[in-house]
Amino acid sequence: MGEISVTAEVSEKLRALPESSAIAMRLKSEQYFDAIQGMIDRFAMKKDLEVVYVTSTIPSQSIINALEVLEIPMDHIWFVDCISQIMMSQEKRHPHAIIVESPTMLENIMLKVEFLLRRVPERNALVVLDSINSLAIHNNTKILSEFLHILVNNLRSRGAYTVIFSMQEYETEEIRNMLVLVSDETIELGG
Amino acid sequence: MPTKEHADGERERCVTGIDAIDHILNGGIPRGNTVLISGSVGTGKTSICIEFLIRGAINGENSLYLSVTEPTDKLLQNVIPFDFFDDRLARQGKLQFLDLPKMYEKLGIDREDLDLDQTRLLADTIAGLVEEQKIKRLVLDSVTSVCYRIREQERIRDFLLRLGTVLSAKGCTTLLVSEIRSSEEGYSQWGVEEALADGVIVTGNLERRGDLLRTLQIVKMRGTTHSRAKYVLDLTTSGVLLVPLLKGGSVTGGG
Repeated sequence: MGEISVTAEVSEKLRALPESSAIAMRLKSEQYFDAIQGMIDRFAMKKDLEVVYVTSTIPSQSIINALEVLEIPMDHIWFVDCISQIMMSQEKRHPHAIIVESPTMLENIMLKVEFLLRRVPERNALVVLDSINSLAIHNNTKILSEFLHILVNNLRSRGAYTVIFSMQEYETEEIRNMLVLVSDETIELGG
Repeated sequence: MPTKEHADGERERCVTGIDAIDHILNGGIPRGNTVLISGSVGTGKTSICIEFLIRGAINGENSLYLSVTEPTDKLLQNVIPFDFFDDRLARQGKLQFLDLPKMYEKLGIDREDLDLDQTRLLADTIAGLVEEQKIKRLVLDSVTSVCYRIREQERIRDFLLRLGTVLSAKGCTTLLVSEIRSSEEGYSQWGVEEALADGVIVTGNLERRGDLLRTLQIVKMRGTTHSRAKYVLDLTTSGVLLVPLLKGGSVTGGG
């Protein structure tokens, strides 16, 4: 039942927020896939949002596999994958995944998000950053703050939702400060 | 030479259609400007130029690409398949590609180095073509290759002045592609090109902690205020996209 409640909690809390919101989602590792399900299946699909999922934590194919198990249609879900290339992953590339060579290429992440959103200007979007912790492994705080500031403001001006994942186990004071600076709301998952 | 001014004194703009560049230039390139697109190989010069022409043609402006180094059929095979490209533009004559070596042949220019008369003949022929075809956007790719055949700095100056003056008077906005080595200082092979151009847009590669980023910077543009900051560039099927270069205290190299 715990797993179901995380899924429901995520979708309910997101539904309560207006468009253009930037949300810091603080979660524990064991809540990870339930949070993704709540966010994509229960929130984004119901609101008919285009989803741009930036992953620097695990390869996009792992998330796609999980979505397929949950029978979530991929039509409006796109990935900006910043980790597969650096891992020298041999996995086949899904047609909805765009590769960024490394999580240090923050400008290229912004460019790929921009590219994907431009393809569907008429649709509102949810952009997920998974996660600030893994981006912080590869980037210093100054450049990461600058990146988040520009990206979030750009997405806000488009009316898109931004969700920034932060794994509670790996949070530092600097990460918490950064999240406070760029986000409108913090969702801290119970459980 | 400005072609038209708005009531508020602002020069009329040639909206490139590349949103980020128009944004940086506060509305586009002042119409009639001759702009040097300068950069080393693989930095996106040709893609920017082709998008500039296609966007112009879509907008009803006759656009011409003069290719010096690469036959246009080969060039078109390798160009990004832009989503917005419509091959009817070429069939309608809105978007034209011409190999300059064919023009040399027609003009009887067979020597490797052009004398003053041949240089002037070439400039006048291009200007005549622009007038005849009512071209509003012109790309010369590359001016460096043309200058290689002109050789003498004085003659290069004469060629560029002659061409620039005529094209500006006709309201034709021109991009001159300048090939430079990444290690080179300045924005052109002879230095004359950047001095005479109304604008200079520089593309480059920036290495940051082992990552290679494509960059773009507008260092000069007469007739408008503009940002001189460096941007990171991506060449996509939706066109050229730019985002600001993140500083973050970690930038070590120039572009």
